[in-house]
Amino acid sequence: MRPQGSRVVELKIPSELGYEKIAREAVATVARRLNFGEEKIEDIKTAISEACTNAIRYGSGADARMKVVVVLTADDEKLDILIKDPGVSGIAPIGGGETGIPDIKGMVEEKKRLGGMGLYIIRMLVDEAEFIQPNDDDEGNQFRMVIYRIPSDEENKSEVGDSGRRK
Amino acid sequence: MSDEIQVSVRTLGDVATVIDLMGDVTTFAEEAINQAYQGVSSGGAVNIIFNFRENDYINSAGIAILIGVVTEARKREQKLVMTGLSAHFQKIFRMVGLTQYADLYPSVDDAVSALRNGGSG
Repeated sequence: MRPQGSRVVELKIPSELGYEKIAREAVATVARRLNFGEEKIEDIKTAISEACTNAIRYGSGADARMKVVVVLTADDEKLDILIKDPGVSGIAPIGGGETGIPDIKGMVEEKKRLGGMGLYIIRMLVDEAEFIQPNDDDEGNQFRMVIYRIPSDEENKSEVGDSGRRK
Repeated sequence: MSDEIQVSVRTLGDVATVIDLMGDVTTFAEEAINQAYQGVSSGGAVNIIFNFRENDYINSAGIAILIGVVTEARKREQKLVMTGLSAHFQKIFRMVGLTQYADLYPSVDDAVSALRNGGSG
């Protein structure tokens, strides 16, 4: 199914580890409707899990009274995912942030603390990922991820006319 | 909300000890995984297979737990092997570099064959 215009799904999940699985399932459903392949859907599920986990753990102190908001916007070109948290543990710097490859050797040799891999994994799995400036009405952190659609072979065939040119 | 992990241990003759993981490998799994690992280590296991259930959820906190196990295994000169991972999580494990320290095989049988032959994945 191909969306005409954009479709928006908005979720509010408690800021409690484990609830990110609801976002995983929701985004998988939306991604299937956009005809993303199964491996890309797995990538998107992992990326949203990591982003929600960060929002729960660091953005709202894993306080279940708070909410993490997930906004999924699907259009012809892309799936746009916005994760909002209250930013109670501080506001993340706007932009890409830390992008380095995890120092697993340092972790194994106990020279580096375990963890810090989530953002790296996200960046490897989606096309765009960054903290953005919230609108004036919003406070806290907003983390945006974008995954562009690549038309499948079936769609390519259906969109190519007799002249062989894409409509 | 999290699918609590079920961990069980079995011994495959003198070849390997298998730690079967069923459920989410997240921060909630830390105690169960570490207890199982410490248990088999104190029993003298040398070759240890972590056998995952293919469609279970693993996140970066779960991967951090496994890196902690790798750290301990290196100190004890144990060989760690991981099996049963989906293609997606094999990719993630390679991405973060975990495969430098633990070989991946599709199944326990494949891992056992490799261990018998002294191979690496």
